[in-house]
This record gives sequence, C-alpha cells and structure tokens, in this order.
Amino acid sequence: MFGLIGHSTSFEDAKRKASLLGFDHIADGDLDVWCTAPPQLVENVEVKSATGISIEGSYIDSCFVPEMLSRFKTARRKVLNAMELAQKKGINITALGGFTSIIFENFNLLQHKQIRNTTLEWERFTTGNTHTAWVICKQLEINAPRIGIDLKKATVAVIGATGDIGSAVCRWLINKTGISELLMVARQREPLEILQKELDGGTITSLNEALPQADIVVWVASMPKTVEIDTNNLKKTCLMIDGGYPKNLDEKFQGKNIHVLKGGIVKFFNDIGWNMMELAEMQNPQREMFACFAEAMILEFEKCHTNFSWGRNNISLEKMEFIGAASLKHGFSAIGLDKQPKVLTV
Amino acid sequence: MHNELKITDMQTLESNKKTTEEFANTNSLKLPDFTTDSYKDAYSRINAIVIEGEQEAHDNYISIATLIPNELEELTKLARMEMKHKKGFTACGRNLGVEADMEFAKKFFSKLHGNFQIALEKGNLTTCLLIQAILIEAFAISAYNVYIRVADPFAKKITEGVVKDEYLHLNYGQEWLKENLSSCKEELMEANKVNLPLIKKMLDEVADDASVLAMDREELMEEFMIAYQDTLLEIGLDNREIARMAMAAIV
Repeated sequence: MFGLIGHSTSFEDAKRKASLLGFDHIADGDLDVWCTAPPQLVENVEVKSATGISIEGSYIDSCFVPEMLSRFKTARRKVLNAMELAQKKGINITALGGFTSIIFENFNLLQHKQIRNTTLEWERFTTGNTHTAWVICKQLEINAPRIGIDLKKATVAVIGATGDIGSAVCRWLINKTGISELLMVARQREPLEILQKELDGGTITSLNEALPQADIVVWVASMPKTVEIDTNNLKKTCLMIDGGYPKNLDEKFQGKNIHVLKGGIVKFFNDIGWNMMELAEMQNPQREMFACFAEAMILEFEKCHTNFSWGRNNISLEKMEFIGAASLKHGFSAIGLDKQPKVLTV
Repeated sequence: MHNELKITDMQTLESNKKTTEEFANTNSLKLPDFTTDSYKDAYSRINAIVIEGEQEAHDNYISIATLIPNELEELTKLARMEMKHKKGFTACGRNLGVEADMEFAKKFFSKLHGNFQIALEKGNLTTCLLIQAILIEAFAISAYNVYIRVADPFAKKITEGVVKDEYLHLNYGQEWLKENLSSCKEELMEANKVNLPLIKKMLDEVADDASVLAMDREELMEEFMIAYQDTLLEIGLDNREIARMAMAAIV
C-alpha cells in the first residue's frame, strides 16, 4: 500500500470538496470546525505500472487548509494526525504533499514521534523530494533546448539553492548537465558557502543580480507575494521552472519569451481512475500529479519500503538516478512546456 | 477542477513568517505553573469532572450488565478499572492540594446522566452503550490525551496509565455495536442526535477552565472527533453516515 497525504488549495475549495464527498458536517462548518476536523481517508485506488505490476493506495486529506498556516499548533496537529492515520491503516510508504512536508520540515515535527497511542515510524514516510528534484532537472534538460537554449552555454540560477530540493538540483546540474554557469541564491549566506564548497562550483549571488544573467531560473522557494520583478531585466528568452509550493510564478512573469513551466509535476502513461487529483489543480488530473506523490507510488512498485527522502540535504546523485530510472520504468514522465497554458486560468 | 480563488491568493509560508518564528519559539510545550491560585481553582472543577466521570462510568457499566447478564463478568472488570482510575485522579488533586468541586461535577454530568438512566429503564442497550462506551469514553480519552501533554509529572504518569485502559473500554462498546449493527443502527443514530450535542456543550462549558490548565479547546474537540470517528468506523459505519452523525455536534 502507498499513501498520499494532501490538502486543499484553499478553505473555499476544501468546503466544496467536502460537500461533493458527502462530509456535510465540515462542508458547512467555519474555519474553527475545520481546525477540529480529523483527517479523512477519502479514496482508495489501484494503479497498474507500465511493467504490469499492480499496487493499491489511499489518499488521505489532512483537513489542513493554507489559511491555517497562521495557527501553528493547528497546522502541526493536522500533519501529525494525518500521518498517524496513514500508519494506523498499515500503509507502507506515504508521501507528504503540498504544505504538509513543508510544515513537517520547517516546524521540526521530528520531535513529535508519539501521537496518542501510536509511535510514528518515520520509515513509513517520504517527502518525495528526491523524485521532485530529479523531475525538475529532467524538465530543465528537456525543455531548455526546445526554446532554443543551449545547455552548454546556459547560465542557470537556482532560487532556494540550499533547501532540500534546491541543493539536490544544484548537485545534479553541476555533475550531470554540463551547463555553463550555476548561480545559487538563498536567504542565508552560510549554508550557501557550505554548498559551494561541497559542489566545488557554483556562484553565490543575490536574486536581483542572478535574474538578468540567467537563461534558466529554477524556483524552489515559494515566492513571497511582495517580491516585484521587472521582467524587462530578464534575458530575452528565459525558461522559468516553478518548483516551489504553491505554484504562483506565472502571475509574476508574463511575457512573450518567458516560458513558465510547472516544476515537479509528472504524467502517468495511463488514466488512473481516481478523483483526488481533480483537487490539486492538475491540468490532466487522471494522469498528472506532484512528483512527490509519484515517489510513494514508485517506492511501492519497487517494494522499497523506506523513508527514501527524509531530512535535509540527504539527496545524493545515486538516489536521484535510482528514483529517476524507476520513474521511467513504471510509466511516469516529466511534464513539458507544450502541455502548459501560457497563463493559468484557475 | 477550476478554483474560484487564484493560486496567487493562496497562503505561502513566507506570508506567514510570524508563524514560523512563533513555532520555533514554542515548539516545546510550556507547562503551566501548577502552584498558582488560578490553576488550583480551575483544577478543582476539572479534577472533579474527571473523578465524577470515572464514578459515572463505573455505575454505568454495572447498570449495562443488568441488560446483558452474560457479560456481567467482563463489565464488572471494566467497572472495577474505572474505580481504580477514580482513585488515581483523586490522588492527583490531593497531590496539588486541591479539593475537587464535586457538586459542580455532578451538575456537569446531570443531563447525560439523566439520559442514560431513561435509556436504562427502557432497556435501550444501544443508547446506553452510545452514551457510555462511545461518547463518555471518547470524551475522556480526548481530554486525557490533551492533559498528558501539560500535566504535572505525578498526574502525567497516572493519566498515561488510565489512557491505556480507556482504549480497552472504547473497544468493548465498539465490539458489541459492531456485532449488532444491523439491528441497532437506527437507535444509534437517534441516540447520537440527542446526546452528541450534550458533549459539545460540556466541552464548551469547561473550555475556560481547561485553558487555564493549558488545554486548548480546539485540540480537545479535535481529539474527541478523532476518537469518535475511529470508533464509528470500527463499528462499521461509512464516511457519509459518520459525517451525518458528527453533524449533530455543530448544529
């Protein structure tokens, strides 16, 4: 069994979804009611790999909504309760999707192992970050040439370079792609210096300095709403990969030659027959999903029951190669530019 | 699916920077000062509720045995356990130098107590089990689970022991209702409609005192809903039926 822990993109959306599923008591409830709502296992699904193997999985809605980010105790409880439910259901490997993995990491939930009468077993969970990082790198390698960017001559900026996904992307770009230059941007200087030393490459710079030089920009930090960027300063042809959460780059960058790609999204080779991705703003919800979710499925296909992506900066090139090869084998592919609308209508 | 809200309207971690900082500062739970007058005052009522709750549970299990005599032995065992818990919680109050306000507690349980007695007289076993083995037990477990995190060291140890037992009790009612679901579903739904709102009211009534003990109302309610939902799922109700039942808690 694989598990996916997710949440709605907004309170309004969550209420509509609850109503569709027949959860009337919370559909009609205000935010306070939602703050007291238990996690719900909303769907079971069977998925068949391109190799013919079948696996079963469950989607658990944590009943977290982004509006709860200002209530830190609530947010923490939502994530831990959903994890407890996944474990109680005997799910072997569960991916934390959307904000849940961000909350887990930023709010240091590792110290909350005991949930009621359940001791959480971390080996049953994965952030899915290894697969997400691999997918973002593939999206970059495949789509840059399509819009006329020669990787050998390209300057790539990674915004959020020292995060779990960001550092893995930098590692891959330096070692596997032969790009001309890597610019690394993050809020804190010290982790950047450590990363630079580890990679023996890359240039530490600021956001404002990086953007005008970059042919490709990989965003793996969610962009503050307040940041204003003058698109006139960008290179004439520019590929932006939006690997952060929530995905909000396309509103910032609208221009003829600015190509914004939703990063870390994969497409399955077949329709899955589930309803849950309808809820996650996917363009083709029967096939598309977050790469982190796909990681749990891949690990289940491979019977690799371990917390494959866990903690910060543990993503090695070998792990990325392993999950990448398994991803392709079972029928996943990274979504590309031609599948993207210029401007998202949501 | 098209969202009404634009994705850019979605909250980001960045726009909630204060939360992150707050989190970092308060990640380890701060325990209240157990020696203040305000703590002891609130404790006199909460402690009394717990003691009275265990007494009610004891009496209720003995009463339930009159409806299912062949379960007498098992139910007597459960009842005895509840008395042990009562003693433990009485010791918790004594340890803090607090006298439990039993009069308040009796009044606190009176409505639920009355409903149980009426059901008992009519021989409505399902209603009795719903009140005792589901609602009161889930209420107790949720309160104890929240309390353990903020209790004084003595009470924490006692409460941890109690919680282990309480999961057994929840299980007892669960098993009977599961076996008899087809014949008792209707009564279960009806009894729930009448009694679940009482639990909600009781939670609201103790919210202020509980918050003095650093027990958060929202967390109490959530813990209750988790225990309640788990039991109903175990009994064999589906998500929609549970949703319909839980509805009684918010109207």
